[in-house]
Amino acid sequence: MKSFWRKGATATAALGAAVLALTATGCSPAADKGSTAGSSGPNTTVTVRLWDEQVQKAYEASFKEFEAKNPNITVKTTLEPFSTYFDKLRTDVSGGNADDIFWVSSSYFAPYADNGSLLEIGSEFDSEKSGWVPAAVDQYTRNGKLWGVPQLTDGGIAVYYNKAMLAKAGVDPSDLSWNPTDPSKDTFLKAAQKLTLDANGKTADDPSFDKDHIVQYGYNASQDLQAIYYNFIGSNGGAFQDGEKFVFASDKSAQAFQYVVDLINKYHVSPGAANTNDNGDFLRDQFIQGHVAMFQSGTYNLKNVSDGAKFDWAIAPIPAGPEGRVSVVNNIVAAANAKTTHKDATLKVLQWLGSAEGSKFIGAEGAAVPAVTAAQSSYADFWKAKGVDSSQFAKAAEGKTISAPVGSNYGAAANAWKPIFNEIFLGRTPVKEGLQKAQDAANAAMTQ
Amino acid sequence: MASKRARREAGIGYLLLAPSLFGILAFLIFPILVVIWLSLNSWNLLSPAKFVGLENFVRVFQDTAFLRSMTVTVLFVLLVIPLQTALGLFSATLLTRGLPGSGFFRVIYVIPWICAPLALGVVWKWIFAPTGGALNAVLGTNTSWLTDPALALPAVAAVSIWSQVGYVTLFFMAGLSAIPAQILDAARIDGSGPWQTFWLVKLPLLRPTMFFVLVTGIISSFQAFDSIYALTPNGGPQGTTDVIATRIYGEAFQSFNLGRASVMALVLFVLLVAVTLIQQLYFRKRITYDLS
Amino acid sequence: MTSPKLTPAQPLPPSTPDLTRQRRIRPGRPRAAAAIGTYLFLVAGFLLTVSPFVLSLMTAIKTPGQFASEPALSLPSPVTGENFLQLFSDDRNFWAPIAVTAQVVVVIVVGQLGFSVLAGYAFARIEFRLRDALFWVYLATLMVPQVVTIIPLYTVLSQLGLRNTFWALVLPFVFGSPYAIFLLREYFRFIPEDLISAARLDGAGTLRILWSIVLPLSRPILATLTIITVVSHWNNFLWPLIITSGRTWQTVTVATAGLQSQYNGNWTLVMAATTVAFAPLLVLFAVFQKNIISSIAITGFK
Repeated sequence: MKSFWRKGATATAALGAAVLALTATGCSPAADKGSTAGSSGPNTTVTVRLWDEQVQKAYEASFKEFEAKNPNITVKTTLEPFSTYFDKLRTDVSGGNADDIFWVSSSYFAPYADNGSLLEIGSEFDSEKSGWVPAAVDQYTRNGKLWGVPQLTDGGIAVYYNKAMLAKAGVDPSDLSWNPTDPSKDTFLKAAQKLTLDANGKTADDPSFDKDHIVQYGYNASQDLQAIYYNFIGSNGGAFQDGEKFVFASDKSAQAFQYVVDLINKYHVSPGAANTNDNGDFLRDQFIQGHVAMFQSGTYNLKNVSDGAKFDWAIAPIPAGPEGRVSVVNNIVAAANAKTTHKDATLKVLQWLGSAEGSKFIGAEGAAVPAVTAAQSSYADFWKAKGVDSSQFAKAAEGKTISAPVGSNYGAAANAWKPIFNEIFLGRTPVKEGLQKAQDAANAAMTQ
Repeated sequence: MASKRARREAGIGYLLLAPSLFGILAFLIFPILVVIWLSLNSWNLLSPAKFVGLENFVRVFQDTAFLRSMTVTVLFVLLVIPLQTALGLFSATLLTRGLPGSGFFRVIYVIPWICAPLALGVVWKWIFAPTGGALNAVLGTNTSWLTDPALALPAVAAVSIWSQVGYVTLFFMAGLSAIPAQILDAARIDGSGPWQTFWLVKLPLLRPTMFFVLVTGIISSFQAFDSIYALTPNGGPQGTTDVIATRIYGEAFQSFNLGRASVMALVLFVLLVAVTLIQQLYFRKRITYDLS
Repeated sequence: MTSPKLTPAQPLPPSTPDLTRQRRIRPGRPRAAAAIGTYLFLVAGFLLTVSPFVLSLMTAIKTPGQFASEPALSLPSPVTGENFLQLFSDDRNFWAPIAVTAQVVVVIVVGQLGFSVLAGYAFARIEFRLRDALFWVYLATLMVPQVVTIIPLYTVLSQLGLRNTFWALVLPFVFGSPYAIFLLREYFRFIPEDLISAARLDGAGTLRILWSIVLPLSRPILATLTIITVVSHWNNFLWPLIITSGRTWQTVTVATAGLQSQYNGNWTLVMAATTVAFAPLLVLFAVFQKNIISSIAITGFK
C-alpha cells in the first residue's frame, strides 16, 4: 500500500518537478532590459520607461556618463510605443511592475498623482527646480506638489515645407492666414489649393481638378490634437477645456474644427481621414516621401524630417487665425514610481535627468528640446550646425499659447471622443452635431 | 481485503487528479467568483476597489456602447455562421467527388486555420489598406474597407470566414464520407438526381455534423477577438466592429473600468451557457441514430 | 470549446477508402464538364486561400522604397532580406519573442499533457467515490469562455505580483485542460481491461501500467493533443497581451501586434513579422499535415 501511495505521489511530483525545471529555465533573451527586483546590493539597476526612440538613444548616452560617475548604479531604458504607452503604464503601475522612472504627459499624469502612484519631486530637487522651464513646472504641479522632473518641452508648433513645391506654386509661407468666415482674408486655403495637384497637374482650385487621383497634397489636416486642431481652436479664440470640463463643441471651437475638416473633405488639400485616423505617422511619412507640400508639426518630428527628407525643406510659422497664431505647448516629465524598491538610486537618476549636465544629451543629437533651460542651447547648436533654422518652434512657444488637455480620467475621455472624432474627420458626421455628442461622451467619461 | 484495495485505489485516483483539480479550481472556477466580486465593485486599477452594489449592472445596461456591441456581435455571428457553413458544405461536396487532387486542395484550405488569427488580421489589415493595400490594387478601387461603417463589419466577418471555411469543410467531408454507399445507391436506383439526393438524402444525414459545426462556430464567433483587434483597433468606425470581446477588453484595459467590464463578461458568460444548454437539449432530442 | 456530448456521435475523420468506394459505385465516369466546373471552384478556393500569404511574403521581401513607389501587386525587385534583417536586428530583436513563445509552448505541452494524462487515467480506470461528481465539474468548466476569465485572472495574478513573468504566461494552462482530460478519458476507457489486469497480476503498479501499457497504446491521441496544444499556444494572443508588457516576455503574436501599431504603414517590416509568426506552424503543418487534419476532425480542435 505504501508503495502505491508513493508511486502515485512520485508521478505527480516528478511531473511537477519536470514542469518546474522547464519553467526555471524559462528566460527571455530580452530580459536584460527588465528590472532586477529588490536589488539593494552593491549594484542597483534603475529602469526608465519612455516612448520616444530618438530620446532613448540620447538617454543611453547620458546614462553612460551617469554610470561612470555612479559605478554602483546601472540604468536601463525601456521603450513602449506611444499608441499603447498609457494603457500599459496603467496596468504596470497597478500590477507593481512599472519601471522605477517613467515618462508621463500632462494629459495622463493626474490619476497617478491623485492615487499616490508617484513620488513627489520634493526638497531633494530644490537646487535644480529654478533651472526648469517654468511652464513645465506649472503644468505638472497638482494639489500644490510637483510630480515629475521636466524632460522635454515641445516648443510650439510650426510648418515644415517642401521648398521646391512652394517655389513652383509661387507660395510664400512666411505669413499665411486662415479665416473661417471671411474667404477674402484667407490666404492659407488658396496656398494649400495651389499646392495640391492631381495626376494631370491641375491644382485643387481648378474646376477640372480630379479629386480621385491626387498625387500631391498641400497640407496635413488630420485628427492630430497637438499639431493640428488644438492650434486651430486656439487661433480662432476657442477653447478645448474649461478646467477639466470639455467645451470643444462651443461655437469658436466648432468653427475651427469645421475649417480643418473642410480642408480634407471639401477642398481635398489633405488626404482622406481613412489614412490618418489610426495612423499618426502617415502624413509625416508622406511629407518625407515628397507627397505633401506643407507639414504642420512640432520639434518631435524635426529629427525624423531631417533624417528622412531627401529634398530641400525649411520651417515656417503656422497660419494665423482671427486671433493670430496660438500654438499648443506641451512638456513631458519623468516621474518616479512610488513603489520603487530602491528609492535613493531612483532619485539620484532623476536628479541627473533634471540637471543641465544630464539632459544636455537630449538636445545634443537634436532629438528634442530639453526642459532644463541651461541644456537647451545644445539643441539649437545641433540644428544650427546642420544648417537648420529651428527658431520657429521657440517663437511659437513664446507667442500666444493654449495648454494641453488635462484630467483625472483623461484616457477614458479620449477613448470616448475618439470614435466620434473619427467620423467627423471622415466627413460622415456633421461637425457641430458630432462635437456635441463627443463632448457629452467625454464629460461623462471624465466624471465617472 | 477488498475495501483496503479500494481505499488504496481511491487514494491513487485523488493523487492523480490533484494537479488538474488545482488548475481547474484556481484558474477556471475561482476566477468566476472573482469576476462576480469585481462586478460589484468600482475599480480603476489605481485607487482601491470600492463596493458599489449593482451600480455597474445598471450602468452597463444603459451604456449605448455596450448595447451596440451586443448588436454588433449578433450581426457578426449572423454574417459568419451561415456563410462559412454554406461555403464549407459546398467545398466538401466538391472535394468528396473523388476527383484526383482533392487531397491537395483539402490540405491547402486548412492552412489559414493553423495560423495565428492575430497575424492573419495584421496581414488582412494591409490587404484592406486604402493606400498601398492589395485589395484596392486588385480591384482598381479606392475604397476605405475598414474605416467605412457600412463595410467594416462585412470585411471583418469575411476575414473570419476566410480563415475558418477549410476547418468547416473538413467536418462536412467526414460527414459526407460516412454516409453509407448503399443509401446513395438506393437513392440513385429510385431515380433521384444529384440535386435531389443532396437535399433529401445527404443533408438530413449530415444533421449531426451540421449541429456540431453550427454550435462550435456560434460559440467561438461570440468570443472572436484576435483578428478583429488587429483589423479595427478601438471598435472600428462608429463602433461597427466593436464586438463584445473587444468591448470588454477596451472597458477593462483602455478605459480601466474593471467593474463594468466584469459585468459585460458575466453577460457573455450567461449567454454562452444558454447557447450550450439549448444545444444540449436540442441535440439529445433530435439525434437518435448512430452513424458509427 | 466543444460539448462533450457531441463527440461520441461525431463522424470519424475522413478516410480514403470511402472515396474509392464512392468512385466505384458512380455510374460511368464523372462527366468532363462537371469535373471542369468542380476544378474551377476548387482552384478559385485555392487562390483565395493562398494569395494573402503569397502577397504578404512578396511584400516582406520588397524594399520599403519599392513598396512606397510602386503598386501593391508589383513583383519584388530587387528581392531583399533587409526587412528580416531589421526584424532580427538588436533594435527589434524578434528572436526574443520566438524564444519566449517556444519556451511557453514547451512548458505548457509537457505540463498540460502530463497532468491531463494522470487525470484522464484516474477518471477512466480508477474507482473512487467522488469520481463522477468531479468529472461533471470538469465537464462544466468546458463552458467557461476565456474572455470571461481573463479579467479575474489578470486581477489575481497581478495582485500576486506575477504580472509580466514567465509564470503568468504558463500557470493558467499548465495544470491540464478539461478538454484534453475528457478526450483522454474517452480513449483510455477503450483500452482492453485484459491488458491492464494482466500487467497488474505481474505486479505492475498504477504508474508502471500507465507508462508501459496505456501510453504506448495512446500515441495517436497524444500526438493529436500535442499538436493542438502547440498550435493554440503558439497562436495565443489575448492572455499574453494582457499579462505581459514591454519586451521581456513578449510572445510572437504580441510582438507582431506591437510592431504593427508602432510601425503603422511600414508594411514591408510588418509583413516580415507576420511571415515569421506563420512560418513555424506552416512547417509543422507541412510535415504533419495528415495527423493535423485528422486531429481537427477528431477533436474539434479547441
